[in-house]
Amino acid sequence: MTIQIENEGSVLVARLAGRLDTAAAVEITPDIQALAEQADKHIVLDCSALEYISSSGLRLFLTLRKESAAKGGKLQVRAISADIRQVFMMTGFISLFEIV
Amino acid sequence: MIFSGKLPAFLAYVKKKQYLCSRKGVNTCITGRYHAMKKEKNKYPRTRSGLWILIVAAVVLEGTACVQYFTSRAAIRDEVELRAKTELGRAELEIEKHTIEMETAAKALAMLAEKHVNNPDSIFAATRSIVGAIDNTSSVAIAYIPDYFPNKGKFFEACSSRISADSIYTRQIGSADHDYTQLEWWQNGFEHDSCWWCEPYPDNAGSKTMVVSCSHPVRDKTGKVVAVVCIDLSLDYLQQVSEYLQIYEGSFYSILSSQGQDIVGRPDTVSGRKYSIFNEEIDATGWHISIIVPDDVIYAALRRVGLIVTIMMLLGLVVLVFIMVRTGRNLVKLINLRNEQDRMESELTIARNVQMAMLPTRFPPFPDYPNLSAYGVVVPAKEVGGDLFDFYIRENKMYFCLGDVSGKGVPASIVMAMTRSLFRSLTSYLDSPAQIMKQMNDSLAGEGNDQNMFVTLFLGILNLKNGELHYCNAGHNAPIHLPFGDASCTMLPCKANLPLGVLAGFAFEEQETKIQAGDALFLYTDGLTEAENSAHELFGEERVNNEWLKLKDESPQQIIETMQAEVKAFVGEAEQSDDLTMFAVRLLKQSPDTGHPSPMHEGHYSLIMRNDIQQIPTLAEWIEMLGLPHELNMPINLALEEAVSNVMLYAYPGKSGQVLVECTKSDTLVFTISDSGVPFDPTQQEDPDVTQSAEERPIGGLGIFLVKQIMDEVHYERKNNKNILTLVKKM
Repeated sequence: MTIQIENEGSVLVARLAGRLDTAAAVEITPDIQALAEQADKHIVLDCSALEYISSSGLRLFLTLRKESAAKGGKLQVRAISADIRQVFMMTGFISLFEIV
Repeated sequence: MIFSGKLPAFLAYVKKKQYLCSRKGVNTCITGRYHAMKKEKNKYPRTRSGLWILIVAAVVLEGTACVQYFTSRAAIRDEVELRAKTELGRAELEIEKHTIEMETAAKALAMLAEKHVNNPDSIFAATRSIVGAIDNTSSVAIAYIPDYFPNKGKFFEACSSRISADSIYTRQIGSADHDYTQLEWWQNGFEHDSCWWCEPYPDNAGSKTMVVSCSHPVRDKTGKVVAVVCIDLSLDYLQQVSEYLQIYEGSFYSILSSQGQDIVGRPDTVSGRKYSIFNEEIDATGWHISIIVPDDVIYAALRRVGLIVTIMMLLGLVVLVFIMVRTGRNLVKLINLRNEQDRMESELTIARNVQMAMLPTRFPPFPDYPNLSAYGVVVPAKEVGGDLFDFYIRENKMYFCLGDVSGKGVPASIVMAMTRSLFRSLTSYLDSPAQIMKQMNDSLAGEGNDQNMFVTLFLGILNLKNGELHYCNAGHNAPIHLPFGDASCTMLPCKANLPLGVLAGFAFEEQETKIQAGDALFLYTDGLTEAENSAHELFGEERVNNEWLKLKDESPQQIIETMQAEVKAFVGEAEQSDDLTMFAVRLLKQSPDTGHPSPMHEGHYSLIMRNDIQQIPTLAEWIEMLGLPHELNMPINLALEEAVSNVMLYAYPGKSGQVLVECTKSDTLVFTISDSGVPFDPTQQEDPDVTQSAEERPIGGLGIFLVKQIMDEVHYERKNNKNILTLVKKM
C-alpha cells in the first residue's frame, strides 16, 4: 500500500495504490492526518490504483470527509474500481462522497 | 491450508546462511593473519627482549650492590673512627695516670732530697722507697751536680732499680764512666723548673732497658739547683698497658715522643698500603698516640661480603637466563599448540557447517503443504553435537525423527551423521516405523560399534491426509501432544524400546494414534529438561509444562523460539551442558488428494494466525487459494478481514493469542472464526444508519455491518470458552 501526495495547481492529489486493509490503514494514518490538516483546500483522492478497501480504510476516508466539511474545503474521490464502488454502495459512502 | 510466519522464517533462514558464511570467512581471514604475525615475531624479538631483560636485571642488581657497598663502607669507616677515638681516649687516660704518678713521685722525691740535701746517705733510702711504692717504675735516681759532696767523689748518683718483682737494688752509680751530666735527662732536668720528660733512651746504668724518664730539679736553701731527680718508666711496661690500642687484628698503634721518637713501636708494615690514622696527644708529656688501620683490614669483611653478593648475583643472572630459555621454549610450544588449536577450531567450524547442513534449515519447509507447519532447532553444546532431527514428505506422509546420540562432540556427531543417513535411506522404501527402527538398530549395533555408542530416537510417520500417526520410540523422551484449543497437553504414550545401537536384533514395537486438525506435536531432547544454570538447577519438566499453558496454541516456530529464549534466560551465564534439540509440527487440516493448493475443490481448510494486525495480508493469500468464484473474492476477503481483525484487536486485550479460521466448501461456503479470548458477540452490535449525512455518520461501526451485508448468515456462539463466529455464503 502506498500513498503519494502531489500538488496539481491549487489541488492536492493523493494517489492511493494497493490494498488498503486493516494493516495498511495503520500505516497510512499519518499521511491521512497530514492531508486532514490541509482539508481547507481542494483534495482529490485518486483511487485508480486502489485494489481493495476495508472498514479501516473507509474510516480514514470518512475522517477526511468530516475534516473537509468542517474546514470548508472540497474533497473528491476519483476513479474507484467496481469492487470499491460495491463497498461504497454497501456502506452508503457513495452518497457521502463526490465521486468523479 | 496454512501460512504462518512465512516471511520471518525465510528471513531467519537467509540470515542464518549469511551468518554461517560470514562467520566462516572472518574466521579464516583472522586465523591466517594471526599465523603470519606469529611466525615473523617468533625468533629475534624474543631473544632481543630477553637480552634487554637481562641487561636491566644486571644493572638493577649491580646498582643496588654498589649503593649497598658504598653505604656500608662509609658506615664501617665511621665505626672504625669511633672505636679508634674511644680507645685513644682510654689510652690517653691510662698513660696519663702513669705519667702523673711518675711526676708526683719525682716532685715528692725532689722535696725529700731538698730536706736532706746535706745527708747524701739518706737519699738511697728515699729512692728505694719510691721504687717500692710505684710498680711501674724500673729505676729511680738522684744525680747531684759534680763535686757537690766533697767526700763522695766528683759524680754522685743515688739509684734504686727494680731487679725483679720483689727485689730492689740500691747503689751509687755516678762515676767518670757514667757522667750523667752529659745525659739529656739530667741537662733538661737541671734547666727546667718542673717535671720534664726526655726522649726514650737505653738505660744502661739503671734498669738496662729502654726507658723514658721524668726529671725534676732539686734545689738547696738558696734556690740553686743541686741535683736532678729521675724516674724511669719502662717502655716494656708502656707497651703492656697500651696493647688494647690494637683495635683490629692487622691494625697498628704507636706512641711517639714530642720529638718524634718511638716510645711504643711503630711498624713499617703500612708502607705501600692505604691506611687510616687516628691521633691523640697527651698534654702532660707531649706524646702522640696513634692508631693506624690499613684499609684492607677495615674493609676485609666488606670485601668478603661484596664478593659473596657478586657471586650470588651472577648465579641469579645465570638462573634468570636459564629460566628465560626454558620459558622461551615453553612459549614456542604454547604457540605451536595455539596454531594446532586454531587449525582444529577451523576444522571444527567446517564440521559444524557440514553437520548443520544435514539438518533441516528451510522453514516453512513445505510450501506445497500449507496445512503443515513445522519448525525445529539444534543448539549443540560444543562445535558439533550428537542431536539430530530430520523430516521430509513422501507420498503425502511426513517421515520425521528426533534423537540424541550418547556422548557429545565429534564422536557423537559421526554417529549422528550415520543415523541421519540411515533414516533417509530406510524411510525411502520402508513404511513401518518398527521395521525402520529395527534396520537402523541392526546397522548401528552391528560390527564397528566398538565405542558402544547408542542413540535414543523417536521416529514417526504422519499421514497428512487423515492425521494417522505411526510411530516407534527407541528409548527417547516421549513427545508432547498439544491438542488445539484444549488446555490439556499429554505425553504421547510410548512403549519401552531399547535405544538404537545397544542390542542387534532387538524387535521394536510400533504404535499408532490420530492427530486432529490444529493439534501439535512437540519433540525434544533432554538438553531441554536438563538445561542447567550456574546453580546446577535443572530447567525441569515443570518449567516446560508451565510454558505449555502460554504456548500451546502458538505456531511451531513461536513455540520453539520462546522455549529456546526461556532456556537461555534460565541458564544465564552457565555453559551449555548438553545439546538441545526441539522440533514441533502442527497439522492444520488434511491436505487435498493432490497435495496442491489450487484450484480447490470441496473440502475443509483452515488458517491459524496470531492476534497481530500485520498478519492480515496472510488472510488475503489464504482466501486467494480457496479458489472462490472471482466476484466473491473481494467481498469474502472483506467480510473475513473485518471478522478476523475484530478478534485480533479486541479479543485478547494486552496479550498474545490466536485466531483460527476454517472454511468448509461445498455448494455453500461456511467459515468459522474461533478464538479463546474474552467473550464478545459482534452480531449484537447495532447497524449504522447509512442514510445519515457525513456530519452525522459516526467514524466506526462499519466492520460487522459489512460482514452482515456480504454474508448470507452470521451466527455467534460461545462454546468451550471460545468465541465462534460462523459465516455462511451461498454460491
